[in-house]
Amino acid sequence: MSEYNKPLPPPSVESEPFWDGCRRHELLVPRCDACSHHWFPATTTCPECWSTDWVWSRVSGKGKIYSFGVYHRAYHKGFADELPYALVVVELDEGPRLTTNVVGCKPEELSCDMPVEVVFDDVTDDRTLYKFKRVNDP
Amino acid sequence: MSTNLSGKYAIVGVGQSPLGKVPEMGPIGLFAVAARNAIEDAGLTKQDVDGLITRGPDDVYCHHQRVGEALGLNVTFSTSTANGGASQTMAVAMACMAIEAGVCNTVVVGYGRDTWSRTHRNAEAKQAVASRPRTYSEFGSEFGQFGAPVNYAIAARRHMERFGTTKAQLGAIAVAFRNHARRNPHAFMQKPLDLDEYLSARLIVDPLCLYDCSVFIDGAGAVVVTTAERARDLRQPPAYVLGFGFGNRLSGWFTDDNMITTGAREAGEAAYKMAGIGPRDVDTAQVYDCFTHMVLLQLEDYGFCAKGEGGPFVASGALEAGGVLPTNTSGGQLSEGHIEGMLQVLEGARQVRREHTPDRQVKDCNIALVTGHGGNTVCQSALILGREAG
Ligand SMILES: [Zn+2]
Repeated sequence: MSEYNKPLPPPSVESEPFWDGCRRHELLVPRCDACSHHWFPATTTCPECWSTDWVWSRVSGKGKIYSFGVYHRAYHKGFADELPYALVVVELDEGPRLTTNVVGCKPEELSCDMPVEVVFDDVTDDRTLYKFKRVNDP
Repeated sequence: MSTNLSGKYAIVGVGQSPLGKVPEMGPIGLFAVAARNAIEDAGLTKQDVDGLITRGPDDVYCHHQRVGEALGLNVTFSTSTANGGASQTMAVAMACMAIEAGVCNTVVVGYGRDTWSRTHRNAEAKQAVASRPRTYSEFGSEFGQFGAPVNYAIAARRHMERFGTTKAQLGAIAVAFRNHARRNPHAFMQKPLDLDEYLSARLIVDPLCLYDCSVFIDGAGAVVVTTAERARDLRQPPAYVLGFGFGNRLSGWFTDDNMITTGAREAGEAAYKMAGIGPRDVDTAQVYDCFTHMVLLQLEDYGFCAKGEGGPFVASGALEAGGVLPTNTSGGQLSEGHIEGMLQVLEGARQVRREHTPDRQVKDCNIALVTGHGGNTVCQSALILGREAG
């Protein structure tokens, strides 16, 4: 585990519950009590109706690929061995879009609107990342 | 409130610094040279300037004050802007608003940077790049998200899958601007570029390759804005400000359809309305081109073709000299050099002044659209310049 050499920016005061959820392998996004809007990342107010009454809601983790870009140049040494790798934007069924990686398939196998579901990657003893895999992949 | 400022103000002087590799000057020094050249072009003097709107490297605090200090200027109205690449076209509009409000009369607007030298000037500069502290952002860096190209690569991918846009169509943009640059002796990229070379270039973030990305140089550009009334007595033909507009989809590039239809839609609608024209009246476009795909999106959003048809439009040769919409006629940021859209303001003014040699001059040019784009990819500003006041 001490070999992990990719960046892990520290959680902010507003994102800590999200990362705690990841550690429990639960995907949480804010859901507004007033208008039921889901959004991401967390802010103090619902971006739709500006209500401050909202909860962390566990979502299905299912969604589809909105789009992606495939890095052929390493901007960080931690990713040098993975070239080419895809940075993927996943749109959850509940609406929010997350920047992530899709595991278990090569960049050329990706396409927009491909169905995916969340998997959790325990990258260090205290950090777990949300990633996605193709629906039906093992 | 329906005060129409169309034709009431004009760009009366344009100036630039040396462009390219200029290690002997810093960003403020480059700006000062461009400002001096713009004032001289207008036939004005330092004493005439009572407004200053600037932008430069983001790490210069109160940038306008540093510029004013270098130029020995005391003015009534002054500020730096923070709308990324949408700032420079916006700053021309802000100058018109400030003059209209009566707070100043003659405003210098510009941008300067030393982007090439910052990383190449000397051994210390090169070392500073190697050891500079990286800033990481949550929900991105963990997954390998770094740099600006990926935002446009993701937008291009979505556009390609939805509308059938191709790499070769993006290449037509890069090739057209390189052809323009080769007629501009000040442009940084002078090597010929054809579609074959474009298609075999190394990928940066697929679908974007090396030639889809703008070139970082040292340089500055500045213009002088004053009233149309005053403009008529000055040295150069005025480039009248016929319209301006803004669209800032601050909810985010990754939100809704914002990377397919951008704030340029709103910016364009407002600017055309103010000018009383439509896209068909535009003789040349100077479009903010940090990346090829952003040109394609803006051409659609500014109404030169329908949404989704940007690919065939650019592949038709529309952007070339003699095309239906000669675009980025000085080479743009992809080939002349990336000065955050400021050089495109200069080129728009020069085209309506019809001062170029025939190989570079858009024939019978009456109206130029100049666009700005930037911030965290969501800010758009449009400026319409005219040879006649209305
Ligand atoms: Zn709400």
